[in-house]
Amino acid sequence: MLYDAPANTDQRRGFLRSVTTWLGGLLGAVVTLPGLAFLAHPLRKDTVDAGKDPLDVGATATQVKPGQPVMVDVRGELKDAWMRTPDVKLGACWLVREKEQDPVKAFSTVCPHLGCGVDWAPEKKQFVCPCHDSYFDLQGKVLTGPSPRGLDELDVKVNEGGRLKVAYRRFRLGTAKKEEV
Amino acid sequence: MIFPPRPSKIDQFKAWLEDRTGLGGALASLMNQPVPGGASLWRALGMVAALLVGLEFVTGVLLAFYYAPSAATAWASTAFIEDQLWFGSLIRGVHSFGSIALIVVSGLHLVQVVLFGAYKRPREANWIAGLLLLLVLLGFALSGYGLPWDQAGYWAKFVETSILSTTPVVGPMLEAIVQGGSRYGHYTVIHFYAVHVFILPAALALLLTLHIYWARRHKLTPPWWMDPATVSRRTEPYFPGQALRDLSLFAFALAVVVVFVVVKKGAGLEPPADPASNYMARPEWYAIPLYQLRMYFEGPLEIVATMIIPGIVGALVFALPFLDRSHSLSPWKRPLATGGLVAALVITAVLTTLSVRKDRADVAFQKHRAEVALEGLRARDLAKRGVLPTGGIDVFKNDPQFEVLSLYKEKCGNCHGLTGQGGDEGPDFADYNSRSWIVSFLKDPQGPLFMGPAKKKKGMKPVEGTDEELAALAEVVYAQTGAKDVKPELLKKAKDSDLFSEKDCDSCHYIDEGDKDLGNAGPSLFQRGTIDYVVRVIEAPDHETLYGEKAKMPGFKGKLTPEQIRLLAEFIVGMKKPSATAAAN
Repeated sequence: MLYDAPANTDQRRGFLRSVTTWLGGLLGAVVTLPGLAFLAHPLRKDTVDAGKDPLDVGATATQVKPGQPVMVDVRGELKDAWMRTPDVKLGACWLVREKEQDPVKAFSTVCPHLGCGVDWAPEKKQFVCPCHDSYFDLQGKVLTGPSPRGLDELDVKVNEGGRLKVAYRRFRLGTAKKEEV
Repeated sequence: MIFPPRPSKIDQFKAWLEDRTGLGGALASLMNQPVPGGASLWRALGMVAALLVGLEFVTGVLLAFYYAPSAATAWASTAFIEDQLWFGSLIRGVHSFGSIALIVVSGLHLVQVVLFGAYKRPREANWIAGLLLLLVLLGFALSGYGLPWDQAGYWAKFVETSILSTTPVVGPMLEAIVQGGSRYGHYTVIHFYAVHVFILPAALALLLTLHIYWARRHKLTPPWWMDPATVSRRTEPYFPGQALRDLSLFAFALAVVVVFVVVKKGAGLEPPADPASNYMARPEWYAIPLYQLRMYFEGPLEIVATMIIPGIVGALVFALPFLDRSHSLSPWKRPLATGGLVAALVITAVLTTLSVRKDRADVAFQKHRAEVALEGLRARDLAKRGVLPTGGIDVFKNDPQFEVLSLYKEKCGNCHGLTGQGGDEGPDFADYNSRSWIVSFLKDPQGPLFMGPAKKKKGMKPVEGTDEELAALAEVVYAQTGAKDVKPELLKKAKDSDLFSEKDCDSCHYIDEGDKDLGNAGPSLFQRGTIDYVVRVIEAPDHETLYGEKAKMPGFKGKLTPEQIRLLAEFIVGMKKPSATAAAN
């Protein structure tokens, strides 16, 4: 034997072995668990918040001609983790009017399939997602392609001067149900 | 015939895995490493330091998930970790106080090594590796302290890079590389960060591996007080005896760290770095002895304290195994090493004590510290609204006061002063409506701080009287402001001698609403100085109960929103410094 230890310490040593192993495990847990909770913060509380207010998109209702959608940027205040940016691009939307007497609708440019930017194909008079070829009509309905739902409509408000305000939102991708995130 | 039992599936898998990795054998070899002379707490220090390094690594990686290095984002992202992230204050606190524990434990480990003579032949290389490790830890502490980019970190780094720039010949070059330019900016923070999370961890991993490998290779030094027979009799494997002591001491260190985090409410965060402030900078606690030492070397001799003395001491420490060539392990028989150690500890303690006592006795410094602490809490509170992209210092723009100040500068500042040096066309609001402001006004209404700049044709004349009379009269005006610390004896005195009529105030001003129709030449003094009154002045100073036709100031009703006018009124009324009696209440 390598060590000159008395035989009657075997039992004591066995006890010490398990105490030491448990202590090691406990210390590991004490350090790891709060660490995991720290990493899980985004599951508990969102870190990006663009507010709920409708935002002026810099266009008036009369500027949207029937059958000719226009894409506008949506800008507003963004609270992103530690930073508050008073005026930043949040995203974009398509403003659509089907017929002269219809109100203006707004569709998010984010494709409900996997999030690419939806474009307007004037020759086909359809919206098209350039990534996976989903086609949508003027009402936002899917015509062909993998998109599980139509384009996401955003609430539009018109103020006294006829200026359009859009409530910009993001929705979960890849699901048939339109669910805000 | 008896067959041996077949090994279970699990044992078979274990054997298979061991055959391919050999990790079980390596672990067993580590756990069975002999501890000469038996387990002891002294021997635990090295391993506790290594475990604390592990703790720093884990918490450091966690912080890297949320911290953003750049001059504009460092403070704000740190404030977010500290005040808004789940367990953020704990993780950052453990990282910060854990680094202090690491330096303390490493220092104790160094003391133990010197006492045990563990640096002696053939362990010279490991002595040097250990000292290099200590320097790496120092590098971690120095680079980490700047990362929050708060006042403390910014100014400590600023002084240190300035010291670096005084290095002969290459100083300015070194400074420019470290701070990433000729001045402090984004690259300063990013460079500190890159050093802190890439360069130093790599150096630490390399040195620590060598340190542990060499410690195993040369075996641990047996205690000097045991004869060889006792040493071999008491020698035991590392696990469990020494392992238990290591883990217990680490658990104790961790508990102390957590207690500090809880008691001190986290690692603390001073206000964001402000290059325009008169911050009273002090270095990190472990550099206080050097800070104090510098006090004794002024002007061109400064370099003696900042570089020459630390350089010589450092070189001597590195050379210890080569200077002390005696064979004895007992500290009593190695006067050079033991004496040097004691002298170093005593000098460090004395220098630290001198510096700390000097600061404790320094009233201005203590006041400054208290202000910094309050400002830090205010900044952290404002940061909860989100900090503007322009950077940490602009957190103060979140303060409603800041909005008022901009509004004030635009609408009021052209005529009215705020500094106590007089406005251009109207009264100065520094300490507005305090007793002394009112008394001075009564003595010289057309003075440069009061109506003088307005250059009115028929303005108020100075009130003549004894100091007591003026004080009593001022108290009458003061009482109208709604102040809570009015002195009734002064009011009584004014009333008894009917000072208001006696000094002819009532021919122009009324102070009682019932006397509305009397003295209308000057503004009403009824509730003068309350927020509502100031609102009325801002709205329409030419109102018949105020300055009437004599008003020079334009009214702002309709030009500003009612909220803006109220904010301005609150701001102006708030210019009065809190008086001693009010503060006592």
